Amino acid sequence: MIRLRLLAEYALARVFLGAVELLPAPLAMGAARRMADLVFLVHRRRRRIATDNVLASGIVADARAARRIARESFRHLALIVVESLRSGVEGSVNGGASAALVEWDVPASVEALLDDERQGLILASGHLGSWEAAAQILSLRKPVMGITSPMNNPRVERLVQERKPRGRFTLTSKHDLDTGRFFACLKRGDVLALMIDQRALKRGIEVAFFGRPAATHTSIALLHLTTRVPIVFGWCERVGPGHYRFHAEEPLRHARSGDKERDVRAILEALYHKLECAIRAHPEQYMWGHRRWR
Amino acid sequence: MIRTELVERLRDVMVRSCPESVDWDEVDETRTIESLGIDSLAMLDLTYDLQQAFELEFEPEDLLGVKTVGDLLAFLAARVGS
Repeated sequence: MIRLRLLAEYALARVFLGAVELLPAPLAMGAARRMADLVFLVHRRRRRIATDNVLASGIVADARAARRIARESFRHLALIVVESLRSGVEGSVNGGASAALVEWDVPASVEALLDDERQGLILASGHLGSWEAAAQILSLRKPVMGITSPMNNPRVERLVQERKPRGRFTLTSKHDLDTGRFFACLKRGDVLALMIDQRALKRGIEVAFFGRPAATHTSIALLHLTTRVPIVFGWCERVGPGHYRFHAEEPLRHARSGDKERDVRAILEALYHKLECAIRAHPEQYMWGHRRWR
Repeated sequence: MIRTELVERLRDVMVRSCPESVDWDEVDETRTIESLGIDSLAMLDLTYDLQQAFELEFEPEDLLGVKTVGDLLAFLAARVGS
């Protein structure tokens, strides 16, 4: 039964990906937007989660405005998924082939870190803007290693990954036990990219995100404390079709106090603060549909 | 630092960093670190705790070849002069 379901998912994914590749770009984007509207309409549970999350964040106070932001975030997600999957067809920025449609909003201190071949960097990002494009764009400057959670269906996972040109952006599974790959990546002078707003299923700590406790992974803070490699908060705004602006904040360097819990918490709070500010400026580009505070 | 003191201090650190309950009396130097339930996240905890407890300034990648408790003891002994 499970095998049959996996095969059905694979067949559906093939049809979807085929359509995404064959349609001209404006049609594919239009279809993505309409598909997002349909999902928003039909998937009541996910719609409620997204709308409730927007309200809980305090970005807007009334339900109508929250619903509008939630719907826009569904459309945004559909657009960035389609753009990411089409990047191989069009050789766009997202595919790492061109830097023509990228704007850099990066302080001089980060520019210096990116220009230093031997300097590793920990990139902290969230489900804001286009995180796939952020890694691809940054890899134009330095090799990037991203940590990912593979899909439950290995055939679909392979199919999707085959369609994403990577260049100097590589992915490593979060289930891999080898910590050495992180240290080696930073030692080589590469970028290690981590998403900070994923719910920690086990051994996380609760850190306030928009004022509400959220189970948070501590890995990024521990990596910084043990390696002393600076953390840069960065994200990629989608300005228009295939057009992105990469934003980065001043590097974060936290001196050890000797109290591990306190240091880890201070780092995570500082990163959440930066993420919250970015989300407040572009709430429609945040993925509100996941249960961050469960 | 004498070896018995080193072993005791390492044991304290590992008990703190290890996410699973382990019968530490059964653990000898041939035991792999992975078999103690130390995954990549726990390894980060362990690295921090070792740097802190032994006041060592080592690069985490120096631990890449460390696979067993004995390897870890040898690694620390070389640095603290046991």
